[in-house]
Amino acid sequence: MIDVVRAGRLDLVMDLGRPGFRAQGVPEGGAADATALALANRLVGNAEGAAGIELLLRGPRLRFPEGGTIALTGADMLARCNGESVARGHAWAIPAGGELELGTADKGLRAWLAVAGGIETPPVMGSRSTFLPGGLGGWQGRALRAGDRLPLGLAAHCRAGVLGFDESDDALRILPGPQLPGFADAALKRLSDCAFRVSADANRLGLRLSGATLDYAGGELASQAVLPGAIQVPPDGNPIILGWDGPVTGGYPVIAGIIAADLHRLAQLRPGDALRFAFVTRDEAQAAWRRLQASLDGAIAWTD
Amino acid sequence: MVSRETTAMRWMTDRGICIAAGASTLALYQRLSAAGLPGVRELVPADGMLLVVLEPGRAPPPELEALAADLPGPQVLPVASTRQHRIKVRFAGEDLPEVAARAGLDTDGLIGLMCEQTLRVQFLGFQPGFAYLGGLPPLLHLPRRAKPRTSVPAGSLALAGGYCGIYPAAGPGGWHLLGIAETGLFDPAADPPARLQPGDTVRLVAA
Repeated sequence: MIDVVRAGRLDLVMDLGRPGFRAQGVPEGGAADATALALANRLVGNAEGAAGIELLLRGPRLRFPEGGTIALTGADMLARCNGESVARGHAWAIPAGGELELGTADKGLRAWLAVAGGIETPPVMGSRSTFLPGGLGGWQGRALRAGDRLPLGLAAHCRAGVLGFDESDDALRILPGPQLPGFADAALKRLSDCAFRVSADANRLGLRLSGATLDYAGGELASQAVLPGAIQVPPDGNPIILGWDGPVTGGYPVIAGIIAADLHRLAQLRPGDALRFAFVTRDEAQAAWRRLQASLDGAIAWTD
Repeated sequence: MVSRETTAMRWMTDRGICIAAGASTLALYQRLSAAGLPGVRELVPADGMLLVVLEPGRAPPPELEALAADLPGPQVLPVASTRQHRIKVRFAGEDLPEVAARAGLDTDGLIGLMCEQTLRVQFLGFQPGFAYLGGLPPLLHLPRRAKPRTSVPAGSLALAGGYCGIYPAAGPGGWHLLGIAETGLFDPAADPPARLQPGDTVRLVAA
Protein backbone atom coordinates (compact mmCIF):
# COMPACT_ATOMS: atom_id res chain seq x y z
CA MET A 1 0.00 0.00 0.00
CA ILE A 2 0.91 3.66 -0.30
CA ASP A 3 0.04 6.35 2.24
CA VAL A 4 -0.34 9.89 0.98
CA VAL A 5 1.53 12.00 3.55
CA ARG A 6 1.17 15.24 1.59
CA ALA A 7 -0.76 15.61 -1.65
CA GLY A 8 0.79 17.23 -4.71
CA ARG A 9 -0.86 19.86 -6.89
CA LEU A 10 -3.13 17.30 -8.61
CA ASP A 11 -2.35 13.60 -8.17
CA LEU A 12 -4.64 11.39 -10.24
CA VAL A 13 -4.70 7.59 -10.44
CA MET A 14 -4.48 6.80 -14.17
CA ASP A 15 -4.18 3.83 -16.47
CA LEU A 16 -4.40 3.81 -20.25
CA GLY A 17 -8.04 4.95 -20.28
CA ARG A 18 -11.62 3.88 -20.64
CA PRO A 19 -12.39 3.25 -24.31
CA GLY A 20 -15.85 2.19 -25.43
CA PHE A 21 -18.07 4.66 -23.57
CA ARG A 22 -18.06 7.78 -25.74
CA ALA A 23 -21.58 6.98 -26.93
CA GLN A 24 -22.57 7.06 -23.20
CA GLY A 25 -21.15 10.58 -22.89
CA VAL A 26 -17.90 9.45 -21.23
CA PRO A 27 -14.54 10.29 -22.87
CA GLU A 28 -11.69 7.78 -23.01
CA GLY A 29 -9.41 9.76 -20.69
CA GLY A 30 -6.41 7.95 -19.26
CA ALA A 31 -2.79 9.09 -18.81
CA ALA A 32 -2.11 12.29 -20.74
CA ASP A 33 1.05 10.61 -22.03
CA ALA A 34 0.16 6.95 -22.44
CA THR A 35 3.68 6.14 -23.58
CA ALA A 36 5.26 7.66 -20.48
CA LEU A 37 2.98 5.64 -18.18
CA ALA A 38 3.52 2.45 -20.20
CA LEU A 39 7.31 2.84 -20.01
CA ALA A 40 7.22 3.55 -16.27
CA ASN A 41 5.22 0.36 -15.87
CA ARG A 42 7.72 -1.63 -17.93
CA LEU A 43 10.55 -0.40 -15.71
CA VAL A 44 8.91 -1.84 -12.60
CA GLY A 45 7.84 -5.11 -14.25
CA ASN A 46 4.14 -4.23 -14.61
CA ALA A 47 1.87 -4.74 -17.58
CA GLU A 48 1.81 -1.49 -19.58
CA GLY A 49 -1.81 -0.83 -18.66
CA ALA A 50 -1.32 -1.03 -14.88
CA ALA A 51 -2.55 2.04 -12.99
CA GLY A 52 -0.02 4.58 -11.77
CA ILE A 53 -0.30 8.17 -10.59
CA GLU A 54 -0.26 11.18 -12.89
CA LEU A 55 1.37 14.14 -11.17
CA LEU A 56 1.02 17.83 -12.05
CA LEU A 57 3.74 20.45 -11.52
CA ARG A 58 4.40 19.61 -7.85
CA GLY A 59 4.41 16.03 -6.71
CA PRO A 60 3.23 14.51 -3.41
CA ARG A 61 5.04 12.96 -0.44
CA LEU A 62 4.24 9.24 -0.26
CA ARG A 63 5.07 6.62 2.36
CA PHE A 64 5.52 2.93 1.54
CA PRO A 65 4.83 1.03 4.82
CA GLU A 66 5.81 -2.28 3.22
CA GLY A 67 8.32 -0.81 0.76
CA GLY A 68 7.97 -0.99 -3.00
CA THR A 69 9.66 -0.49 -6.33
CA ILE A 70 8.86 2.67 -8.24
CA ALA A 71 9.76 4.39 -11.50
CA LEU A 72 9.13 7.97 -12.64
CA THR A 73 8.73 9.27 -16.18
CA GLY A 74 7.71 12.60 -17.68
CA ALA A 75 8.75 15.93 -16.14
CA ASP A 76 11.56 15.85 -13.57
CA MET A 77 10.03 16.60 -10.15
CA LEU A 78 13.35 16.20 -8.31
CA ALA A 79 12.31 13.10 -6.40
CA ARG A 80 14.13 12.11 -3.22
CA CYS A 81 13.88 9.02 -1.06
CA ASN A 82 15.35 8.92 2.46
CA GLY A 83 17.77 11.71 1.57
CA GLU A 84 18.88 10.29 -1.77
CA SER A 85 18.03 11.74 -5.14
CA VAL A 86 15.87 9.44 -7.34
CA ALA A 87 16.50 9.92 -11.05
CA ARG A 88 13.75 9.53 -13.62
CA GLY A 89 13.66 6.58 -15.96
CA HIS A 90 14.75 3.64 -13.87
CA ALA A 91 13.40 1.39 -11.15
CA TRP A 92 14.13 2.40 -7.56
CA ALA A 93 13.57 0.21 -4.51
CA ILE A 94 12.01 1.97 -1.52
CA PRO A 95 12.59 0.16 1.80
CA ALA A 96 9.73 -0.64 4.19
CA GLY A 97 8.61 2.60 5.81
CA GLY A 98 10.49 4.65 3.25
CA GLU A 99 9.16 7.93 1.89
CA LEU A 100 9.24 9.33 -1.62
CA GLU A 101 9.26 13.11 -1.68
CA LEU A 102 8.57 14.86 -4.95
CA GLY A 103 9.27 18.52 -5.59
CA THR A 104 8.28 20.98 -8.28
CA ALA A 105 9.16 20.50 -11.95
CA ASP A 106 11.13 23.41 -13.38
CA LYS A 107 10.50 22.21 -16.92
CA GLY A 108 7.45 20.41 -18.28
CA LEU A 109 4.25 19.89 -16.30
CA ARG A 110 3.30 16.24 -15.75
CA ALA A 111 5.06 13.13 -14.47
CA TRP A 112 3.96 9.52 -14.04
CA LEU A 113 4.73 7.31 -11.10
CA ALA A 114 4.51 3.56 -11.58
CA VAL A 115 4.67 1.21 -8.62
CA ALA A 116 5.47 -2.49 -8.91
CA GLY A 117 2.16 -4.34 -8.71
CA GLY A 118 0.18 -1.32 -9.88
CA ILE A 119 -2.34 0.81 -7.97
CA GLU A 120 -5.30 -1.51 -7.42
CA THR A 121 -8.25 0.79 -6.87
CA PRO A 122 -11.55 -0.73 -8.05
CA PRO A 123 -11.93 -0.41 -11.84
CA VAL A 124 -14.94 1.63 -12.98
CA MET A 125 -16.27 0.91 -16.46
CA GLY A 126 -13.20 -1.20 -17.15
CA SER A 127 -10.60 1.35 -16.10
CA ARG A 128 -8.89 2.78 -13.01
CA SER A 129 -8.40 6.19 -14.63
CA THR A 130 -9.76 9.14 -12.69
CA PHE A 131 -12.39 11.10 -14.62
CA LEU A 132 -12.74 14.27 -12.55
CA PRO A 133 -15.70 15.88 -14.36
CA GLY A 134 -17.81 12.77 -13.72
CA GLY A 135 -16.29 12.04 -10.30
CA LEU A 136 -15.59 8.45 -11.28
CA GLY A 137 -12.67 6.03 -11.39
CA GLY A 138 -9.29 6.39 -9.72
CA TRP A 139 -9.34 6.89 -5.97
CA GLN A 140 -12.99 7.72 -5.13
CA GLY A 141 -13.33 9.69 -8.34
CA ARG A 142 -11.08 12.50 -7.08
CA ALA A 143 -7.49 13.71 -6.75
CA LEU A 144 -5.44 12.23 -3.90
CA ARG A 145 -5.44 13.89 -0.47
CA ALA A 146 -3.25 13.52 2.59
CA GLY A 147 -4.41 10.48 4.56
CA ASP A 148 -5.46 8.40 1.52
CA ARG A 149 -4.17 4.81 1.54
CA LEU A 150 -3.84 3.23 -1.91
CA PRO A 151 -3.90 -0.55 -2.37
CA LEU A 152 -1.17 -2.17 -4.48
CA GLY A 153 -1.25 -5.36 -6.53
CA LEU A 154 1.32 -8.11 -6.45
CA ALA A 155 4.69 -7.11 -7.84
CA ALA A 156 6.28 -9.18 -10.60
CA HIS A 157 9.98 -9.60 -11.31
CA CYS A 158 11.53 -6.33 -12.33
CA ARG A 159 14.49 -6.01 -14.71
CA ALA A 160 17.16 -3.34 -14.49
CA GLY A 161 17.07 -0.76 -17.23
CA VAL A 162 17.37 2.94 -18.01
CA LEU A 163 14.96 5.02 -20.07
CA GLY A 164 16.19 7.80 -22.30
CA PHE A 165 14.13 11.00 -22.68
CA ASP A 166 13.48 12.73 -25.95
CA GLU A 167 11.89 16.12 -25.41
CA SER A 168 11.04 17.81 -28.67
CA ASP A 169 10.19 21.49 -29.05
CA ASP A 170 9.19 21.14 -32.69
CA ALA A 171 5.88 22.42 -34.00
CA LEU A 172 2.89 20.22 -33.17
CA ARG A 173 1.95 18.35 -36.33
CA ILE A 174 -1.64 18.82 -37.48
CA LEU A 175 -4.04 17.60 -40.14
CA PRO A 176 -7.00 19.51 -41.59
CA GLY A 177 -10.15 19.20 -39.48
CA PRO A 178 -13.72 18.63 -40.67
CA GLN A 179 -14.63 22.35 -40.71
CA LEU A 180 -11.38 23.61 -42.23
CA PRO A 181 -13.16 24.59 -45.49
CA GLY A 182 -15.23 27.12 -43.47
CA PHE A 183 -12.12 29.09 -42.50
CA ALA A 184 -10.61 31.78 -44.71
CA ASP A 185 -7.09 31.33 -46.12
CA ALA A 186 -5.90 34.04 -43.73
CA ALA A 187 -7.00 31.94 -40.75
CA LEU A 188 -5.16 28.88 -42.07
CA LYS A 189 -2.05 30.97 -42.63
CA ARG A 190 -2.24 32.28 -39.07
CA LEU A 191 -2.66 28.79 -37.70
CA SER A 192 0.54 27.59 -39.36
CA ASP A 193 2.59 30.84 -39.14
CA CYS A 194 1.79 32.32 -35.73
CA ALA A 195 3.17 31.38 -32.34
CA PHE A 196 0.37 30.64 -29.89
CA ARG A 197 0.52 30.68 -26.12
CA VAL A 198 -1.14 28.35 -23.65
CA SER A 199 -3.52 30.46 -21.52
CA ALA A 200 -4.18 29.97 -17.81
CA ASP A 201 -7.31 28.04 -18.82
CA ALA A 202 -5.54 24.73 -19.53
CA ASN A 203 -6.27 21.36 -17.95
CA ARG A 204 -7.19 17.79 -18.88
CA LEU A 205 -10.39 19.03 -20.56
CA GLY A 206 -8.65 21.36 -22.95
CA LEU A 207 -6.02 24.01 -23.51
CA ARG A 208 -7.24 27.46 -24.47
CA LEU A 209 -4.69 29.33 -26.59
CA SER A 210 -4.00 32.98 -27.30
CA GLY A 211 -1.81 34.66 -29.87
CA ALA A 212 -3.96 34.89 -32.99
CA THR A 213 -7.67 34.70 -33.66
CA LEU A 214 -9.12 32.52 -36.39
CA ASP A 215 -12.33 33.67 -38.03
CA TYR A 216 -14.89 31.08 -39.03
CA ALA A 217 -17.36 31.93 -41.78
CA GLY A 218 -19.05 28.56 -42.09
CA GLY A 219 -22.24 29.43 -40.21
CA GLU A 220 -24.09 27.63 -37.43
CA LEU A 221 -22.83 24.15 -36.66
CA ALA A 222 -24.63 21.19 -35.09
CA SER A 223 -23.00 19.14 -32.32
CA GLN A 224 -20.44 16.70 -33.63
CA ALA A 225 -18.42 14.03 -31.85
CA VAL A 226 -14.87 15.24 -31.23
CA LEU A 227 -11.55 13.72 -30.14
CA PRO A 228 -8.60 14.79 -27.96
CA GLY A 229 -6.23 16.91 -30.04
CA ALA A 230 -9.03 18.48 -32.09
CA ILE A 231 -8.51 22.25 -32.39
CA GLN A 232 -11.89 23.93 -31.86
CA VAL A 233 -12.53 27.57 -32.59
CA PRO A 234 -15.22 29.26 -30.44
CA PRO A 235 -16.81 32.55 -31.59
CA ASP A 236 -14.04 34.69 -30.02
CA GLY A 237 -11.57 33.10 -32.47
CA ASN A 238 -9.05 31.91 -29.84
CA PRO A 239 -8.48 28.20 -30.49
CA ILE A 240 -8.96 25.48 -27.88
CA ILE A 241 -7.12 22.16 -28.12
CA LEU A 242 -9.40 19.48 -26.68
CA GLY A 243 -7.77 17.43 -23.93
CA TRP A 244 -7.98 13.83 -22.73
CA ASP A 245 -11.09 14.37 -20.58
CA GLY A 246 -12.73 16.82 -22.98
CA PRO A 247 -16.41 16.45 -23.88
CA VAL A 248 -17.31 13.74 -26.40
CA THR A 249 -19.39 16.16 -28.46
CA GLY A 250 -18.87 19.81 -29.27
CA GLY A 251 -20.61 22.53 -31.21
CA TYR A 252 -17.62 24.64 -32.29
CA PRO A 253 -15.93 24.24 -35.68
CA VAL A 254 -12.78 22.09 -35.72
CA ILE A 255 -10.14 23.70 -37.93
CA ALA A 256 -7.45 21.04 -37.51
CA GLY A 257 -6.37 18.15 -35.33
CA ILE A 258 -3.07 17.19 -33.70
CA ILE A 259 -1.75 13.86 -34.98
CA ALA A 260 -1.84 10.90 -32.60
CA ALA A 261 1.97 10.72 -32.49
CA ASP A 262 2.19 14.26 -31.04
CA LEU A 263 -0.78 14.25 -28.66
CA HIS A 264 1.34 13.27 -25.64
CA ARG A 265 3.41 16.44 -26.02
CA LEU A 266 0.42 18.51 -24.87
CA ALA A 267 0.86 16.91 -21.45
CA GLN A 268 3.99 19.00 -20.80
CA LEU A 269 2.66 22.40 -21.89
CA ARG A 270 2.24 24.96 -19.13
CA PRO A 271 0.25 28.18 -19.13
CA GLY A 272 2.46 30.76 -20.85
CA ASP A 273 4.35 28.23 -22.98
CA ALA A 274 4.63 29.00 -26.69
CA LEU A 275 3.67 26.52 -29.36
CA ARG A 276 3.44 26.33 -33.12
CA PHE A 277 1.52 24.14 -35.52
CA ALA A 278 2.66 22.61 -38.80
CA PHE A 279 0.38 20.91 -41.31
CA VAL A 280 1.53 17.46 -42.40
CA THR A 281 0.05 14.87 -44.75
CA ARG A 282 -1.88 11.79 -43.66
CA ASP A 283 1.05 9.63 -44.79
CA GLU A 284 3.43 11.64 -42.63
CA ALA A 285 1.07 11.27 -39.67
CA GLN A 286 0.95 7.51 -40.13
CA ALA A 287 4.73 7.27 -40.48
CA ALA A 288 5.16 9.37 -37.31
CA TRP A 289 2.85 7.00 -35.41
CA ARG A 290 4.82 3.95 -36.61
CA ARG A 291 8.10 5.63 -35.62
CA LEU A 292 6.74 6.43 -32.15
CA GLN A 293 5.65 2.82 -31.63
CA ALA A 294 8.96 1.47 -32.92
CA SER A 295 10.91 3.82 -30.64
CA LEU A 296 9.16 2.37 -27.59
CA ASP A 297 10.78 -1.00 -28.09
CA GLY A 298 14.25 0.48 -27.83
CA ALA A 299 13.38 3.21 -25.32
CA ILE A 300 14.65 1.29 -22.32
CA ALA A 301 18.26 0.11 -22.32
CA TRP A 302 18.11 -3.07 -20.23
CA THR A 303 21.25 -3.54 -18.18
CA ASP A 304 20.74 -6.99 -16.66
CA MET B 1 -37.97 3.35 -48.10
CA VAL B 2 -34.50 4.69 -48.91
CA SER B 3 -33.81 8.37 -48.47
CA ARG B 4 -30.42 8.31 -50.28
CA GLU B 5 -28.95 11.06 -48.14
CA THR B 6 -25.61 12.07 -49.49
CA THR B 7 -22.91 11.26 -46.98
CA ALA B 8 -19.59 13.03 -46.73
CA MET B 9 -16.55 11.79 -44.86
CA ARG B 10 -13.98 13.99 -43.19
CA TRP B 11 -11.17 13.29 -40.76
CA MET B 12 -11.15 14.32 -37.09
CA THR B 13 -7.41 14.29 -36.19
CA ASP B 14 -5.91 11.06 -37.56
CA ARG B 15 -7.98 8.91 -35.22
CA GLY B 16 -11.53 9.43 -36.45
CA ILE B 17 -13.70 9.77 -39.51
CA CYS B 18 -16.78 12.01 -39.36
CA ILE B 19 -19.60 10.89 -41.58
CA ALA B 20 -22.34 13.44 -42.25
CA ALA B 21 -25.48 11.33 -42.37
CA GLY B 22 -28.19 13.86 -41.49
CA ALA B 23 -31.42 12.31 -40.27
CA SER B 24 -30.02 8.84 -41.00
CA THR B 25 -27.26 9.13 -38.36
CA LEU B 26 -28.92 6.67 -35.98
CA ALA B 27 -29.54 4.21 -38.79
CA LEU B 28 -25.86 4.43 -39.74
CA TYR B 29 -24.82 4.02 -36.08
CA GLN B 30 -26.89 0.85 -35.82
CA ARG B 31 -25.69 -0.49 -39.15
CA LEU B 32 -22.01 0.02 -38.31
CA SER B 33 -22.48 -1.30 -34.75
CA ALA B 34 -23.91 -4.50 -36.21
CA ALA B 35 -21.11 -4.75 -38.80
CA GLY B 36 -18.36 -4.99 -36.12
CA LEU B 37 -15.68 -3.58 -38.41
CA PRO B 38 -12.03 -4.45 -37.69
CA GLY B 39 -9.85 -1.55 -36.60
CA VAL B 40 -12.84 0.43 -35.29
CA ARG B 41 -12.55 1.37 -31.60
CA GLU B 42 -15.81 3.24 -31.06
CA LEU B 43 -18.80 4.67 -32.88
CA VAL B 44 -20.10 8.01 -31.62
CA PRO B 45 -23.34 9.45 -32.97
CA ALA B 46 -24.04 13.19 -32.71
CA ASP B 47 -26.28 15.74 -34.39
CA GLY B 48 -26.45 14.54 -38.01
CA MET B 49 -22.90 13.19 -37.80
CA LEU B 50 -21.35 9.90 -36.81
CA LEU B 51 -17.73 9.65 -35.69
CA VAL B 52 -15.91 6.40 -36.38
CA VAL B 53 -13.00 6.25 -33.92
CA LEU B 54 -10.17 4.05 -35.23
CA GLU B 55 -7.70 1.99 -33.23
CA PRO B 56 -4.35 3.85 -33.11
CA GLY B 57 -2.37 3.42 -36.30
CA ARG B 58 -5.20 1.68 -38.17
CA ALA B 59 -6.48 2.71 -41.57
CA PRO B 60 -10.24 3.05 -42.03
CA PRO B 61 -11.88 -0.26 -42.97
CA PRO B 62 -12.40 -0.47 -46.74
CA GLU B 63 -16.07 -1.45 -46.27
CA LEU B 64 -16.86 1.84 -44.55
CA GLU B 65 -17.77 3.79 -47.66
CA ALA B 66 -20.15 1.14 -48.97
CA LEU B 67 -21.80 0.78 -45.56
CA ALA B 68 -22.31 4.55 -45.32
CA ALA B 69 -24.09 4.68 -48.68
CA ASP B 70 -27.82 4.17 -49.33
CA LEU B 71 -28.88 4.66 -45.75
CA PRO B 72 -32.41 3.92 -44.75
CA GLY B 73 -34.39 6.96 -43.58
CA PRO B 74 -34.83 7.73 -39.90
CA GLN B 75 -38.13 5.88 -39.68
CA VAL B 76 -36.65 2.46 -40.49
CA LEU B 77 -34.86 1.84 -37.22
CA PRO B 78 -34.50 -1.74 -36.16
CA VAL B 79 -36.54 -1.86 -32.94
CA ALA B 80 -35.02 -4.96 -31.33
CA SER B 81 -32.18 -3.08 -29.63
CA THR B 82 -34.21 -0.06 -28.54
CA ARG B 83 -36.32 0.44 -25.44
CA GLN B 84 -39.25 2.61 -24.43
CA HIS B 85 -39.01 4.71 -21.28
CA ARG B 86 -41.63 6.64 -19.32
CA ILE B 87 -40.06 9.35 -17.20
CA LYS B 88 -41.90 11.25 -14.49
CA VAL B 89 -41.37 14.99 -14.45
CA ARG B 90 -42.41 17.65 -11.97
CA PHE B 91 -43.06 20.54 -14.37
CA ALA B 92 -42.09 23.53 -12.22
CA GLY B 93 -38.95 24.76 -13.98
CA GLU B 94 -37.91 28.41 -13.81
CA ASP B 95 -38.26 28.91 -17.55
CA LEU B 96 -41.59 27.09 -17.97
CA PRO B 97 -43.73 30.29 -18.22
CA GLU B 98 -41.29 31.94 -20.65
CA VAL B 99 -41.06 28.89 -22.92
CA ALA B 100 -44.85 28.55 -22.89
CA ALA B 101 -45.23 32.23 -23.82
CA ARG B 102 -42.71 31.94 -26.66
CA ALA B 103 -44.62 28.95 -28.00
CA GLY B 104 -47.94 30.82 -27.70
CA LEU B 105 -49.26 28.45 -25.02
CA ASP B 106 -50.14 28.57 -21.36
CA THR B 107 -48.08 26.40 -19.00
CA ASP B 108 -50.68 23.60 -18.92
CA GLY B 109 -50.73 23.61 -22.70
CA LEU B 110 -46.93 23.34 -22.81
CA ILE B 111 -46.91 20.48 -20.29
CA GLY B 112 -49.59 18.67 -22.30
CA LEU B 113 -47.62 19.15 -25.51
CA MET B 114 -44.37 17.87 -23.93
CA CYS B 115 -46.14 14.77 -22.61
CA GLU B 116 -47.82 13.85 -25.86
CA GLN B 117 -44.56 13.63 -27.86
CA THR B 118 -42.73 10.39 -28.49
CA LEU B 119 -39.16 11.60 -28.06
CA ARG B 120 -36.22 9.65 -29.41
CA VAL B 121 -32.66 9.55 -28.06
CA GLN B 122 -30.48 10.80 -30.91
CA PHE B 123 -27.12 10.76 -29.15
CA LEU B 124 -25.41 11.29 -25.78
CA GLY B 125 -22.82 13.89 -24.87
CA PHE B 126 -22.11 16.95 -22.73
CA GLN B 127 -22.26 14.93 -19.47
CA PRO B 128 -22.06 11.18 -18.79
CA GLY B 129 -25.56 9.88 -19.54
CA PHE B 130 -26.93 13.16 -20.98
CA ALA B 131 -29.24 12.12 -23.83
CA TYR B 132 -30.26 14.51 -26.61
CA LEU B 133 -33.96 13.79 -27.19
CA GLY B 134 -35.31 14.66 -30.63
CA GLY B 135 -38.89 14.82 -31.80
CA LEU B 136 -40.03 18.18 -30.40
CA PRO B 137 -42.57 20.08 -32.50
CA PRO B 138 -41.04 23.09 -34.32
CA LEU B 139 -42.76 25.64 -32.05
CA LEU B 140 -40.55 24.33 -29.22
CA HIS B 141 -37.30 24.76 -31.16
CA LEU B 142 -35.72 27.61 -29.20
CA PRO B 143 -32.10 28.83 -29.22
CA ARG B 144 -29.99 28.41 -26.07
CA ARG B 145 -30.32 31.02 -23.33
CA ALA B 146 -28.14 34.07 -24.02
CA LYS B 147 -26.52 33.60 -20.62
CA PRO B 148 -25.94 30.05 -19.41
CA ARG B 149 -26.59 29.28 -15.75
CA THR B 150 -23.49 28.37 -13.78
CA SER B 151 -25.35 25.56 -12.03
CA VAL B 152 -28.43 23.58 -12.93
CA PRO B 153 -29.75 20.94 -10.48
CA ALA B 154 -29.43 17.23 -11.24
CA GLY B 155 -32.55 15.88 -12.93
CA SER B 156 -33.38 19.18 -14.68
CA LEU B 157 -35.48 18.70 -17.80
CA ALA B 158 -34.50 21.41 -20.26
CA LEU B 159 -34.78 22.23 -23.94
CA ALA B 160 -32.82 24.15 -26.60
CA GLY B 161 -31.69 23.86 -30.19
CA GLY B 162 -34.48 21.49 -31.19
CA TYR B 163 -33.65 18.99 -28.44
CA CYS B 164 -34.68 18.37 -24.88
CA GLY B 165 -32.66 16.52 -22.28
CA ILE B 166 -32.33 15.67 -18.62
CA TYR B 167 -29.13 16.61 -16.73
CA PRO B 168 -27.96 13.42 -14.95
CA ALA B 169 -25.77 15.48 -12.62
CA ALA B 170 -25.69 19.10 -11.48
CA GLY B 171 -23.56 21.39 -13.62
CA PRO B 172 -23.55 24.49 -15.81
CA GLY B 173 -26.35 24.66 -18.36
CA GLY B 174 -27.55 26.96 -21.12
CA TRP B 175 -30.90 25.31 -21.86
CA HIS B 176 -34.39 26.43 -20.77
CA LEU B 177 -35.48 24.66 -17.58
CA LEU B 178 -38.94 23.08 -17.66
CA GLY B 179 -38.91 20.89 -14.57
CA ILE B 180 -37.25 18.17 -12.54
CA ALA B 181 -37.32 14.57 -13.72
CA GLU B 182 -36.59 11.45 -11.77
CA THR B 183 -32.83 10.82 -11.77
CA GLY B 184 -30.78 7.63 -11.93
CA LEU B 185 -29.86 8.24 -15.58
CA PHE B 186 -26.23 7.23 -15.19
CA ASP B 187 -24.79 4.36 -13.16
CA PRO B 188 -21.14 3.45 -13.79
CA ALA B 189 -21.82 -0.07 -12.45
CA ALA B 190 -24.64 -0.73 -14.96
CA ASP B 191 -24.18 -2.14 -18.45
CA PRO B 192 -24.61 0.09 -20.36
CA PRO B 193 -24.03 2.84 -17.78
CA ALA B 194 -26.46 5.32 -19.36
CA ARG B 195 -30.15 4.47 -18.94
CA LEU B 196 -31.13 6.20 -22.18
CA GLN B 197 -29.44 4.74 -25.27
CA PRO B 198 -29.38 6.07 -28.84
CA GLY B 199 -32.57 4.96 -30.57
CA ASP B 200 -34.58 4.54 -27.36
CA THR B 201 -37.92 6.36 -27.10
CA VAL B 202 -39.05 8.48 -24.16
CA ARG B 203 -42.50 9.60 -23.05
CA LEU B 204 -42.65 12.25 -20.34
CA VAL B 205 -45.31 11.86 -17.65
CA ALA B 206 -46.37 14.84 -15.52
CA ALA B 207 -45.92 13.90 -11.86
